[in-house]
Amino acid sequence: MVLLWQVLANGILLGGLYALMALGLALVWGVLNIVNLAHGAFIMLGAYVCYYLFALVHVDPFLALPAVMVVLFVLGYTLQRHVLNLIIRAPMFNTLLVTFGFEVVLTNLAQMIFSADFRTVNPGYAGANFNLLGATIPLARILAFTTGLSLTAGLWFFLLKARLGRAIRATAQNLIAARLYGVETRTIYAITFGLGAALAGAAGDLYGLVSQINPYIGGSLTAKSFAICIIGGLQNPLGVVVGGIFLGIVESLTALYLGPTYTDVASFGILVLVLVLRPTGLLGRTA
Amino acid sequence: MREFQLFCIAAVFLVSGPAFSETITLGASVQITGPLANTGRYYRDGYEFAIEKINKKGGIRAGNVNYKLALKLLDNQSDVNLSVRQYVQLLTEDKVNFLLGPYASNFALATSSVSEKYQVPMIQGGGASDQIFSRGYKYIFGTLPVASEYFSSNIAAMDTLKPKPEKVALLFADDAFDVSVADGTRNILTKSGFKLVLDKRYASNSSDFNSLLSLIKDSQPDAILVAGHETEVLNFIRQAKSLNVSPKFYSFTVGVPTEDFRKALGKDGDYAFGMTSWLPSAALKDEYFGNGEAFAKEYADRFGYDPDYHAASAVADVEAFAKAIEAAGTLDPGKVRDAIAHVSFDSLYGRIQFSAAGQISLPQIMIQVQNGKLVPIYGQKGLINSPLYPMPSWDHR
Repeated sequence: MVLLWQVLANGILLGGLYALMALGLALVWGVLNIVNLAHGAFIMLGAYVCYYLFALVHVDPFLALPAVMVVLFVLGYTLQRHVLNLIIRAPMFNTLLVTFGFEVVLTNLAQMIFSADFRTVNPGYAGANFNLLGATIPLARILAFTTGLSLTAGLWFFLLKARLGRAIRATAQNLIAARLYGVETRTIYAITFGLGAALAGAAGDLYGLVSQINPYIGGSLTAKSFAICIIGGLQNPLGVVVGGIFLGIVESLTALYLGPTYTDVASFGILVLVLVLRPTGLLGRTA
Repeated sequence: MREFQLFCIAAVFLVSGPAFSETITLGASVQITGPLANTGRYYRDGYEFAIEKINKKGGIRAGNVNYKLALKLLDNQSDVNLSVRQYVQLLTEDKVNFLLGPYASNFALATSSVSEKYQVPMIQGGGASDQIFSRGYKYIFGTLPVASEYFSSNIAAMDTLKPKPEKVALLFADDAFDVSVADGTRNILTKSGFKLVLDKRYASNSSDFNSLLSLIKDSQPDAILVAGHETEVLNFIRQAKSLNVSPKFYSFTVGVPTEDFRKALGKDGDYAFGMTSWLPSAALKDEYFGNGEAFAKEYADRFGYDPDYHAASAVADVEAFAKAIEAAGTLDPGKVRDAIAHVSFDSLYGRIQFSAAGQISLPQIMIQVQNGKLVPIYGQKGLINSPLYPMPSWDHR
């Protein structure tokens, strides 16, 4: 019983991190209709920014979070403004190709600049834990979990209440009407893509606390984020949280009952099931 | 104009000089980029370094001709299928003379079929899985010890520890090499009378081990043996700490001998056991580098990081070709293949002599990280240094 509770707790905490990873991808996908294949590479870059801030200037990963997000925002904003905006009206295949190109370039640049050495962000509390009803809860994971949830809630309120957030939603819902109301869509696109990259950066910052970093972590993280977006749906940030935690729990229970070889089989199996049974995602409204 | 061309041709002949009249090209497709680039670099640098040294010593003399060695190196981007195509390209387009191997068992497993098909020998120091050598192939040779015996020195050492670990957990990734390791380890464990309380296969490239660690905590083994990849081992140890999973003993097939591992983990890397087929020792004499210690120093100065057994194994591959070609006295692939099967020499890596199946036999030395340093613990002749055992629990470090 303790084992089941422990594994469930592991799954929920893992899911929080998953949700944060997928959040930026879902935002960009929902608003710009771009499936950003470089999303995992942004997460990787965020992890490296955090690593160097920690290793060279000894900034705590949680304090470094705003700085990491700003760096990634600027990168995302620039890429959208000067590259992706040029082809935003082109068929989806073109944007897929361009973001795939970003992924390749960023990954290879990362290996040239950072080398293929494995890095970890290892502050004193990275291994700390406490006991909750018999389960061991790693401190870093619960901090990452709460940070992920806070950022999701923050994004939700921003989209719901802030003027800029409403402009973003308006652009996503009805492009022509938004333009008629004076929304500068090119700027909105760039800001949205920047926000997506900033959220990826935040995920990367926290990822380094629980896992190792190397230039090639991006690919599998993009795939996982993609699955979470499909499972949760793109309608609102809450869907991504539900999708992430759901996936985290499924993977943990699969590892416990079926064996750890099958975690990917389970998560992508669920992806297929969702696509067949509820194409709009778990929380999506059917048309 | 025509005279100028003739002059150029003459100049080329004059400059290239009589020192080497011919070139032998060794072809290899190695992981220079991609997820395996971290280990792939040992092969890139090892091959290059060995070829350079052999050329400096006057190259290879076969028959009555002096040959210079050259390397044709392709980047397979850590992609097995690309690597297979590149080996075909190396033989059909680039017309290399012989093949050096890629890193990792699944790569060697797939690409050795190319060398077999074209009947050109490949010596590889990157794949240890028993599967590579159990198909009756004649053109593949390997300089890593047999995968199924990777843990043998560790298990022999566990027998001598006090208190003796009784319950053992075995975890392994689901690729060719690690499955071979696990199959062999399971046998040795049962023969030596250990109780296997957990035997789990996990997906290669897993980054989350929390469920597995919870299972381990539940079955309370004294010792954990992990056959996986370095990225997984790093995550495993960090997550073991954060879940406070503290066995008396844990050991890993990879990672522990590398400098990168100790750097990435810092203090958390302490107490981890592992194994290596090679330590930079002055007792290992070598014709081209002097000895193992001198090689390690020169290598670190030149490339900026310490070599481990992968690099030494790569050097041994090139040296084995040099010896075999000299013995064969010809570049005929079939004759060189027969010569490789009969080479027997001492290198900085150890004694190079291939079994009938094509693999060398080298003992694994058990090692442990103690205060950030790599310490040899247990070898063929028994205890070398005393191990730090049992491992203290994470909250008492």
